Amino acid sequence: MSDGLAPAAQQGVLRLGKRAFPPGQPIVMGIVNRTPDSFFRPAVTWDEAEAMQRVHQVIADGADIVDVGGIPAAPGANVDVAEEIRRTAAFIGAIRSAYPDVVISADTWRHETGRAVCEAGADLLNDSWGGYDPLLADVAAEFGAGLVCAHVGRQSPRTRPFRVAYADVMADVLDQVQLLARRALAAGVRSDRIVIDAAHDFGKNTWHSLEITRRLAEMTATGFPVLVSLSNKDFVGETLNLPPEQRLPGTLAATAICAWQGARIFRVHQVAESRQVIDMVSAIRGDRPPARAVRGLA
Amino acid sequence: MITAAALCPAPPLLARELTGADPVVPELRQACLDAAAGLLQSDPDMIAVVGTGEQTRAFGTRGQLDLAAYAPALALGRLDGSALDGSGLDRDPQPLPLPLGLGCRLLDQAGYAGQLALHTVSDRASAADCAAVGASLAETMARVALLVMADGSARRGLKAPGYLDERSFPFDTQVTEAIQAGDMAALLTLDAGLARDLMATGRPAWQVLAGAMGERRPASVIRYCDDPFGVAYLVATLSPQHNVSPTSGRERGGDWPQRP
Repeated sequence: MSDGLAPAAQQGVLRLGKRAFPPGQPIVMGIVNRTPDSFFRPAVTWDEAEAMQRVHQVIADGADIVDVGGIPAAPGANVDVAEEIRRTAAFIGAIRSAYPDVVISADTWRHETGRAVCEAGADLLNDSWGGYDPLLADVAAEFGAGLVCAHVGRQSPRTRPFRVAYADVMADVLDQVQLLARRALAAGVRSDRIVIDAAHDFGKNTWHSLEITRRLAEMTATGFPVLVSLSNKDFVGETLNLPPEQRLPGTLAATAICAWQGARIFRVHQVAESRQVIDMVSAIRGDRPPARAVRGLA
Repeated sequence: MITAAALCPAPPLLARELTGADPVVPELRQACLDAAAGLLQSDPDMIAVVGTGEQTRAFGTRGQLDLAAYAPALALGRLDGSALDGSGLDRDPQPLPLPLGLGCRLLDQAGYAGQLALHTVSDRASAADCAAVGASLAETMARVALLVMADGSARRGLKAPGYLDERSFPFDTQVTEAIQAGDMAALLTLDAGLARDLMATGRPAWQVLAGAMGERRPASVIRYCDDPFGVAYLVATLSPQHNVSPTSGRERGGDWPQRP
C-alpha cells in the first residue's frame, strides 16, 4: 500500500434506516449484549433495564448505531431461534420507540431472527457468520435493511478456529466478502446498504487478524463500506498478553490503524474512547476539521 | 484623496476555514466585515489594502491567500462541513501575504468588485517612509478608500503567542487612543523597536494610515477592541469627514482588558 489511504471517491453514501453516512464520516456501533455469557463484561446487560441503560449510554457517548446481540460468538449453552428472538426482538422494539432515528443493528446469522428483529425496527443485519444462513439476505432485501457480509473462512456459527491456514488470508477475505456482497445484491439488498467485514478472530488466528489489520486498505479499496469489530478481542489479548478487561489500549491502537486505512464502521464496547480515537484519525486523514483550532493562528 | 479608512487585524484565524468546526471569533469577523463594508459606502474609485510585509512593495491583484499554507488538509477537499470544504481550493503559485490576502477576502465578502491596490510595507521601514507610502496611495485616484490590516502586541498575557510583556498594555492603549482621537501624528511617533519587541506587527501599516490621512483628523468608530488570545485586535472605521455615520455593527469603546 502507498500511504494506506483508499481513494474516497470509490466509497459511496451508506444508508441505514433513516441515516445517510457519506464517505469520510466514521460510524461508531455500540455493542449491547442481551446475553448472560459474552466474553467481555459477561451478563452486565442481561437484565433488560440494564441493557436499556446501556443503550442510553452508548448513544450519549456518540454511537450512531446500536448493535444488539442475543448469542455469544463463542461456543456455549445452546440458544435456539425462539430464545434468540425472545432476547432481542422486543428489546429492539423498545429501542426503536425510545430512539426513532437511531440506527439499530441486530447481531444474528439466522433469517428467522432477522425477520423478527426487522419487524421490531432493526435497520441492519450484522451477520458475523459469513452468510451461513443464505436466507438472511432475502430478509434484508424484503425489509430494506442493510447487511454485513463477513469473512469467517470455513467456520460455522459459534465454533473456534482450529489450525486454520490461508495461502493469503486477505485474498481469502476479499474473495468471500465480495462473493457474499454479490449474493446479497442478487437477493435484492440495495447496494448502498451492503457492508463488508473481515471479522477479526472469526476463522482466524491472531497472526491472521494482525495481517488483515495491516492490510485493511485492500478491503476499503473495493468501494464497499468496511466494518471492523476489534473491540477487546483475543487477537488483541494474545498480542499483548492481557485479559479482556485490559485490552482497551490495544483495541484503540488497532482501531486507529483501521480508521487510517478507511474503515467506516467501528463495532465497539467503549464508545467514548473509540470515538475520540476515530475522530482524531479522521482529522489526521483530512476528513474532519479540528473541533477548534487557534494555536498559532491568533 | 482618502474617502474612508478601515482598520482590521490580520490573524490567520480571521479566515473561517482555519478554526475548524468552531467559528471561535464570529464577532471579530463580523466587525471586520462591517468595517470593510463601510469602505464601500464611501463610494471609492479604488480601495487600497495595506499590511506589514517583508518588503515595501506593491502586489498584483490576481493572487489570493494560500489557506493551505496554514491548514494543508484544506487542499485535500474532503473535510466535512460545507463551510470548511476546500474542494475549490487551488493553490496559488504566488499567493498574497497574509494581511493582503485577508483584506481581499474581506472586500470580496463585502461585495466589492472594483479597483484594488495592494501594498505591503516593510517592518523595517521608518515612520517617514511608511507615511510616504500612505500619502502616495492617497493621491493615486480622486477617491481612495484604505483598508489597513494591522495587529497590536502579541504579548498581552502568559498564554499569548509572545508570552507576557507588560509594556504591551500602554503601547496598545497609545495606539487605540490615537485611532480613537484621530490623532494621526501620534501614530507616527510609535517606537518601532518597542513595536518589534512586542510583536506588534501593525506599526508600519498604522503609519501608512497616518500618511494617507495627512493633516486631517479623522473621526473614528471602534468596532472591536479585545485580545482573546493575547494579541491586540483593533477594528475601527475612520472617516476624514467629521459627520461619521457608522454602519451596522457593534460599537465599542477602546478599552483594553488587562489580564496577564
